[in-house]
Amino acid sequence: MIVALALLVVALSVALAGWALWFVVRDRAVILRQLWGGAVVEAVLVVQAVVAGWLAATSSPDVDGVLLWGYVLTQLLILPIAAAWAFAERTRWSSVVLVLAALTVAFLEYRLLQIWGTV
Amino acid sequence: MTDIAPRSTASGPGRLLVAVYGILALAATARGIYQVAFKLDEAPVAYLLSLVSGIIYVVATIALAKDWRTVAWWAVSIELVGVLTVGVLSLTVVDDFPDETVWSAFGQGYGYIPVVLPFLGLLWLWRTGRPATTA
Repeated sequence: MIVALALLVVALSVALAGWALWFVVRDRAVILRQLWGGAVVEAVLVVQAVVAGWLAATSSPDVDGVLLWGYVLTQLLILPIAAAWAFAERTRWSSVVLVLAALTVAFLEYRLLQIWGTV
Repeated sequence: MTDIAPRSTASGPGRLLVAVYGILALAATARGIYQVAFKLDEAPVAYLLSLVSGIIYVVATIALAKDWRTVAWWAVSIELVGVLTVGVLSLTVVDDFPDETVWSAFGQGYGYIPVVLPFLGLLWLWRTGRPATTA
């Protein structure tokens, strides 16, 4: 697992969570620009998944594959669900959900590093 | 203010509850399926409980989102008993819990959210069950 990439994921998702939290305080629903922010995080996650797959295939690290891919796939699912929620619910609660989703992505990143044995 | 009917469990702060339950449902069920499918013989008690806890979270999530109050009461209550029982057992009968489950050590691996959540869930069910005018 590339640590720099993981740190980027954590930094971006925590920033997104902070942005959404600001919207919770202001009593506003998620806006499209935040979803673009989420798309950037998602893009980095896809890059990370590809890199992890390549590393796993070439260097055969001592990693539980099923566990790793379970986390990778779960992590990829979180933000799209929050985005769907944002479209369905145009109140501050969509911002609350986005805060939660972004923090979950950051936490799963930490677990991924543990699984990979980097932490 | 003139609303007499009980509020839906999925309204207002209930959305947050549904979202947190949803994430735990995903986490616990995925973990449970993985543990039961790939290493059940290592710790059958802990891993089956993992899967059961995941299923309870799924039921609780759906019940809270759909405002199925009776189902939600049952699911959240079972969850409360489960997390307290497994929390105590995982610290005392360590042999049966060699690996982590969602409920081990009162949900330590999940920021203790699993032990706080059922209390919030019951509080929320109780609050929304009363007419809004008295709240």
